Amino acid sequence: MPLQLTNLLPTYFDASRKNGSEIWGKEHRFDAGQYIKIIAPSGSGKSSLMNFLYGMRTTFSGDIRYNNKSILQNSDEDWAVIRRETVSIVFQDLRLFPQQSVLDNIEIKRQLQPYHPSEKMKEMAERLGIADKLTSKCGNCSYGEQQRTAIIRAMMQPFQFLLLDEPFSHLDDANAQKAMGLMMEEAQARNACIILADLERLDHYPYTQLYHL
Amino acid sequence: MVALVFLYRPGHWNTAIAGIAADVYQPAADAKNGSIRKDGFDFISITRMVSNSTMGQKEKNSFTQEMVDSIRQQPFIEDVAPLEANLFQVELSAGGILPFSTNLFVESIEDRFLDTLPPNFGWQPGQSKIPVIVSSDFLEIFNVFGPSYGLPQVSPETASGIPVFITVSGDAGREETFAGQIVAFSDRINSVIVPKSFLDWGNVTFKGKKAAYFSRLYLKTKDANDPALLSYLDANGFKVNKDKTKFGRMKQVFEGIFTGLGVFGILVVILALLLFSFYLQLVIARSRESIRLLLMLGYSPNWLSVNFTRRFIPVYIGIIVVAVLLIAIMQYVFHQWVMYNRPELESWPHWSVALVAVALLILSIVANFSLVKKRMTEEKAV
Repeated sequence: MPLQLTNLLPTYFDASRKNGSEIWGKEHRFDAGQYIKIIAPSGSGKSSLMNFLYGMRTTFSGDIRYNNKSILQNSDEDWAVIRRETVSIVFQDLRLFPQQSVLDNIEIKRQLQPYHPSEKMKEMAERLGIADKLTSKCGNCSYGEQQRTAIIRAMMQPFQFLLLDEPFSHLDDANAQKAMGLMMEEAQARNACIILADLERLDHYPYTQLYHL
Repeated sequence: MVALVFLYRPGHWNTAIAGIAADVYQPAADAKNGSIRKDGFDFISITRMVSNSTMGQKEKNSFTQEMVDSIRQQPFIEDVAPLEANLFQVELSAGGILPFSTNLFVESIEDRFLDTLPPNFGWQPGQSKIPVIVSSDFLEIFNVFGPSYGLPQVSPETASGIPVFITVSGDAGREETFAGQIVAFSDRINSVIVPKSFLDWGNVTFKGKKAAYFSRLYLKTKDANDPALLSYLDANGFKVNKDKTKFGRMKQVFEGIFTGLGVFGILVVILALLLFSFYLQLVIARSRESIRLLLMLGYSPNWLSVNFTRRFIPVYIGIIVVAVLLIAIMQYVFHQWVMYNRPELESWPHWSVALVAVALLILSIVANFSLVKKRMTEEKAV
């Protein structure tokens, strides 16, 4: 399933923004197995791009097509299917249920379309060093622990595209490396495409294509 | 208990009101005054209202043939026939057996309106014997007051056997005497009925004309208590035997009350649904962030709406079951201890109560689902 961007630009951006960008106003096609890295300084529209790709906002001109179907034609129910089966995301602002435990936050995603058995949650939590936090309320965990929770949650479903919006902003290098390793394994197992957007160059992400937003 | 139910979900006490309205209306609609019914029809007599301003004006106090035809065309009238009265003088005496003599009036009506029609009820010119049908009330009155005048009380059989003489006279001084025989007693018609052929002959022979006006009409109707019939009669100034429609008058009032109660019930249902929709919107607004997050994670709006609505179904069912039980208990208590088990009423709710309950249940679920669905769509991820 290809992802195509055609002459994409947020409606609130001036057309001149197309000039300095390798994404805005350009044509792109992302396919299975590709690891895309988008370097996006503050204010360049990184979160806008992620929101557009995940169907949370449609304030753009141009077109985004998953499997040759414009996302502008998608109904809410279509988006529910896409988010359940095709596209997974780690939000920059994490978006967890603060009143629920770490385990419940992950399980709520796993139940929707189980890709892994429930034991896998614990295994991943151990690998990322948050096994002892599984029963803790998410709101009581540190940002780093919450970020790892969001990463594990994103791994619980089948996907062909994994969208990562500053996924390691609250992690130290060692933990970021572990998390990246886990995500690479999961993406490879699904032959998925990763689209990672971050402020700067990340050494431990073996990208295949690099773009500047 | 009631208070608890009301407090739990303030929007749903309407179920009880709508149920009661449907329930109480039903026995009132079913009950009938049995005394004047025959073969599923009621027979009632009507007259025109005589007021001070219409006194002495026969055409204003009587029915014409056109009025009879117009009444016949009403949907609630099965049949109508005038009671024709004698225009000539009639005197009744008991000959030598009883010292009894009285001026009399006689009437005739189509045979099909008589509840007791003996085979020998007929008359042809030249026949000296006239069969007569008398209201059974007359015999009863005679037996009550007869002893005061030294007269013996008589049984219907004996009364039928007493030879009476009917002397008929007219304008020209002509007079003729016939032998009368009571051939039947009628519960329906409170008059003295002679065969129509005799009355017509008498009117023509002694007065030279047939009756052009009718003082009384007999109506055959499916339900003498039908409010439409009573309204029609009232609107046209027709007076009806009050006893026979007393229940109908009450029913008119009851129907008015219960229609009002029904309308009130419907209003309350609408208000309750409105109130509950506000409650749901409040619940949704409070869970707004969670709903948005679930939608973001890939939960479908449809699935969320169905599950959200489903959580309330046991509550609806519980409230409706309690409401129906309360109706049943109240009706049972009312019937047993207030109405003393009257046969016109039922101890248990009518099936339409269950129907209303199910309809309200479905209405609540559908209304809530569509509301939740609408809100879910509005809440899509931002």
